[in-house]
Amino acid sequence: MPREIITIQVGQCGNQIGMEFWKQLCLEHGIGKDGLLEDFATQGGDRKDVFFYQADDQHFIPRSLLIDLEPRVINGIQNSEYRNLYNHENIFVAEHGGGAGNNWASGYHQGEQVVDDIMDMVDREADGSDSLEGFVLCHSIAGGTGSGMGSYLLETLNDRYSKKLVQTYSVFPNQMETSDVVVQPYNSLLTLKRLTLNADCVVVLDNTALNRIAVERLHLSNPTFAQTNSLVSTVMSASTTTLRYPGYMNNDLVGLLASLIPTPRCHFLMTGYTPLTVERQVNMIRKTTVLDVMRRLLQTKNIMVSSYARTKEASQAKYISILNIIQGEVDPTQVHESLQRIRERKLVNFIDWAPASIQVALSRKSPYVQTTHRVSGLMLANHTSIRHLFSKCLGQYEKLRKKQAFLDNYRKFPMFADNDLSEFDESREIIESLVDEYKACESPDYIKWGMEDPGEANVAAALDSKLVV
Amino acid sequence: MDPAPATPRWNLERPYLTGRFHQEAKAAAAAQAPGSKPFSLDSFSRGSGASPGSVIGSYAVSVQELLVIDDLLSALVGIEGRYISIKRVRGKEGYVVFQIDSSMDLALQELTRRIFPLCEDYVLVSQFVESRSHFKNGLVNHALAAALRAFLLDYQAMVAQLEHQFRIGRLSVQGLWFFCQRMMSSLNALAVLVEKATSNNTSGSATLNLLQSQAKAMGGDSAVRSLLEKMTEYTSAAYLRMLERWVYEGVIDDPYGEFFIAENKSLQKESLTQDYDAKYWQQRYSLKEGIPSFLTNVAAMILTTGKYLNVMRECGHNVQVSFSENSKLMSFGSNHQYLECIKSAYDFASGELLTLMKDKYDLIGKLRSLKRYLLLDQGDFLVHFMDIAREELTKKPEEISAEKLQSLLDIALRSTAAASDPTHEELICCVERSSLLKKLATLKDLDCDCPADKLAAADIDQSMQLSITGLETFCLSNKVQWPLSLVISRKALTKYQLIFRLLFHCKHVSRQLCAAWQIQQVFRSVKILGTPILRSSILCRSMLKFVNSLLHYLTFEVLEPNWHLMHDRLQTARSIDEVIQIHDFFLQKCLKECLLLSPELLVKVEKLKALCLQYATSIQLLMPSIEVANSENTSKSGKSRSRTNKSQDRDQQLKLASENVVMSESILKFQAAFNSELQSLAPTLSNSSHAEPYLTHLAQCILGVRIDQ
Repeated sequence: MPREIITIQVGQCGNQIGMEFWKQLCLEHGIGKDGLLEDFATQGGDRKDVFFYQADDQHFIPRSLLIDLEPRVINGIQNSEYRNLYNHENIFVAEHGGGAGNNWASGYHQGEQVVDDIMDMVDREADGSDSLEGFVLCHSIAGGTGSGMGSYLLETLNDRYSKKLVQTYSVFPNQMETSDVVVQPYNSLLTLKRLTLNADCVVVLDNTALNRIAVERLHLSNPTFAQTNSLVSTVMSASTTTLRYPGYMNNDLVGLLASLIPTPRCHFLMTGYTPLTVERQVNMIRKTTVLDVMRRLLQTKNIMVSSYARTKEASQAKYISILNIIQGEVDPTQVHESLQRIRERKLVNFIDWAPASIQVALSRKSPYVQTTHRVSGLMLANHTSIRHLFSKCLGQYEKLRKKQAFLDNYRKFPMFADNDLSEFDESREIIESLVDEYKACESPDYIKWGMEDPGEANVAAALDSKLVV
Repeated sequence: MDPAPATPRWNLERPYLTGRFHQEAKAAAAAQAPGSKPFSLDSFSRGSGASPGSVIGSYAVSVQELLVIDDLLSALVGIEGRYISIKRVRGKEGYVVFQIDSSMDLALQELTRRIFPLCEDYVLVSQFVESRSHFKNGLVNHALAAALRAFLLDYQAMVAQLEHQFRIGRLSVQGLWFFCQRMMSSLNALAVLVEKATSNNTSGSATLNLLQSQAKAMGGDSAVRSLLEKMTEYTSAAYLRMLERWVYEGVIDDPYGEFFIAENKSLQKESLTQDYDAKYWQQRYSLKEGIPSFLTNVAAMILTTGKYLNVMRECGHNVQVSFSENSKLMSFGSNHQYLECIKSAYDFASGELLTLMKDKYDLIGKLRSLKRYLLLDQGDFLVHFMDIAREELTKKPEEISAEKLQSLLDIALRSTAAASDPTHEELICCVERSSLLKKLATLKDLDCDCPADKLAAADIDQSMQLSITGLETFCLSNKVQWPLSLVISRKALTKYQLIFRLLFHCKHVSRQLCAAWQIQQVFRSVKILGTPILRSSILCRSMLKFVNSLLHYLTFEVLEPNWHLMHDRLQTARSIDEVIQIHDFFLQKCLKECLLLSPELLVKVEKLKALCLQYATSIQLLMPSIEVANSENTSKSGKSRSRTNKSQDRDQQLKLASENVVMSESILKFQAAFNSELQSLAPTLSNSSHAEPYLTHLAQCILGVRIDQ
């Protein structure tokens, strides 16, 4: 089956959101909890094979690897109703079951030791697909397993499957409350380096924003992990909808990503989804139109990444690219009108150095999932304000590093042995350059940023400016 | 149409059967031997002892009266008497005048002469009846002759009555004259009719028209008028049978070629799927000259009714019209019942055919399938197809094996979402020989906007023709079965294919750019600010933006809305002609809005796409050299080296590559070319956008938000 995608879920958080993601996919494709197609799921036209393959007895198996260093979450999955869904050969739990102790270095080191086992699984899955398009990694960047082992896997995948795409759904820690993981800034920084260098695309899922959305938009006073995870699974499933329900465009992952990511490093995407509902909330149904959905998607309160920018900086922030995936019964003529309206009202602040506009992908909705809203939309956006999230991470790291706090835990592992902390410095440097690059994107002169020959650059700039009619 | 059966020989050889016999015989006898006594005449003239030579004036007036009545009674049925003779009118075939012996009493002569017109009319009409009963004159004339014959029978009965009266001695000349008057005007009107019919040699609808106009002309004489109307009714009965068979069964039952609808059997329905200019639907059945005047207004409706029934018959679908007395076509009377019948037959036929097309042959499903595969509504199969057929498609069109492509296409279809769609088996691969622009130039009837630009198109074509590959010429086709080929004819399919080729090529360009993008992704491990890589990335993005926007415009702004519009209109369509018209309108509009009818713009777009392709190709050529260098390095370095060192090596390579001068220059070149080409598109678009509002959409899509600032 062509253009398959293999999902790798690492660590506690990764497995939890992965689990939700598969639940959602099963629902949308009419696949039962045991992987068998439901009787009602007779309407064709969807592409189950991108994420599933069929066993000899016709039941659908996710192309998914479940990896953790401690057994709790995976045991939970294995005891749930979905236990027969997954391929049991694809489940990896460390023998000692001791986890990574929220230590990136531990996760990374353990990853190095078990990489052969895991890569065997990856190879097996890859061999089982016709033309593998890429990998999707689900993890969090704050803990130990998802961040450390995830990082090691990213490097390995990049090395072994250099021709394949790697997309990650990375959960960023909640900055608003004090975390029980004190070394979170270290872990985040070290993971961010790998996300920058070894992933083609990172979908940033900011727990802070997810919580805020749960509280403000869904009116949940104390959102549970399950509830925020359901937001994540909604985003994940919606962002893959053009692959699973093919339409005119964006029928492969590379096409989807290439249009969103201008330069190799600027590959961190924000998401927004509307209308959001949780179960039991029927009173929140409203009329949805394409314009309405597109407009809501542009509102910061619907975006699943917190903005830490100060007002002045915020006004500088610009969209590099936007893809709106609109699902549901859409009158195609509405799309043009809506885009026109948004353009007239100047609701979007785009970068100046190249023409840009909102891209729209219309996608069918699963016929098996009843939703109360006629139209729903997901926004995938590349926005320069994401740099403030990285700056925040850097800032927290600096604070901790200055105090030389908790570094002993890291020195226990080979990478940092002999007090070699250059990895930290290198990571910091890379994140700083990433922040710089995003900052450069805000400038109209991005294209000649750091150009050695100003004369040549001027020619180019002149050419560019002519484009501005 | 069967040729009229030949008149049997005996009918031609034995004139005894016709009433003209005795005149003919007399003429022949006179010509043969004026002296010899023609035997036949005697057998007719009832001899009462008096020789024909004897002069009537020598008798007493009362005797003269008896004699003349006797003669008149013969004359009334067209037979010469002793004192009344028949003379032909020279130069006028079939016309005769009656003459009376001039020695007769003048008063009697006068009275007798008054009766002569009746006799003359009778001769005329009876001649007509006999001559028009021949096969070759057609059904309408037969019917008219039969009606006239019936009338003449009545007339003859009257004559017999009169003769009876005469025998019992109760008939005087005055009485005769009195009894004949009633007949005079009726028979005269018929004679006039017959005269006109004979002189114009009318048949079929012309006869009907003549009857009708005669009846109308007789407005003042209600008796004659109703007689003529009666005649019309009888006469049209045969024609109505024909009409009935056509509007209720779709059969032309017209052995004498009288019906106003002609069938052209040389146009086969198979031509619809093969011939670009197939005329089957337009010309298989057509209206002829000579539509009966009372049907002129509904002729087109009658034609289509039968056409629809025919389509259904060709489909092997047994059409059963609920045949009630009401729906029987009775007459063309003024109550317009026949119009209602025709209308309801039309409604039935069009409704039935539409249901047949939509339900049994699933027209909408077929259109949807065309949209899916030829307009790429669900393009996932194409992604896979392009993956696996890449090698074959990059060959020259002459070298491509269509069979191989077909099998690859089948694989692609089976392994993607299309697998669950049974209609995918109707797809066929084909490889054209010429580029899209050239193909457009050859299709003359597409109403291109500006033919002058064809030269320009030809120019760019010359240069592109050399490097043309399967990617430029690949095309899908679809098997269309009768009767769907009525709607999706070869021509319609060609239009779909034109759109497909444009979309396909855009997809190809987009894929190549994506590949270039993916190659450049390796540069994330080095800083690219200030290197040509950044410029290249941004150029790649601009190009992708261009192609994707173009695709977005083509699909979401053109195809999808127009398709929806068509779909909605099809739901309310009442007849298949309307469906064809809606579908053709949709295609034409799409072609136009897809720029396929404006070569000037299309040439520019093609140029831009060509630039994108060149850029993508050169990136794909330049970059792997780095990868190769890198992998050699790795193999030499052996396994002992740590990953860090390895990646540092690689980074070093990338860094060098990113500062590559050759690349830097070529990227600048591409950038300049692309930007200037894109720029030149802007004024063209905005200039013509006043006339063609869809171009504004395109401009907004391709040039982004900046155009209207």
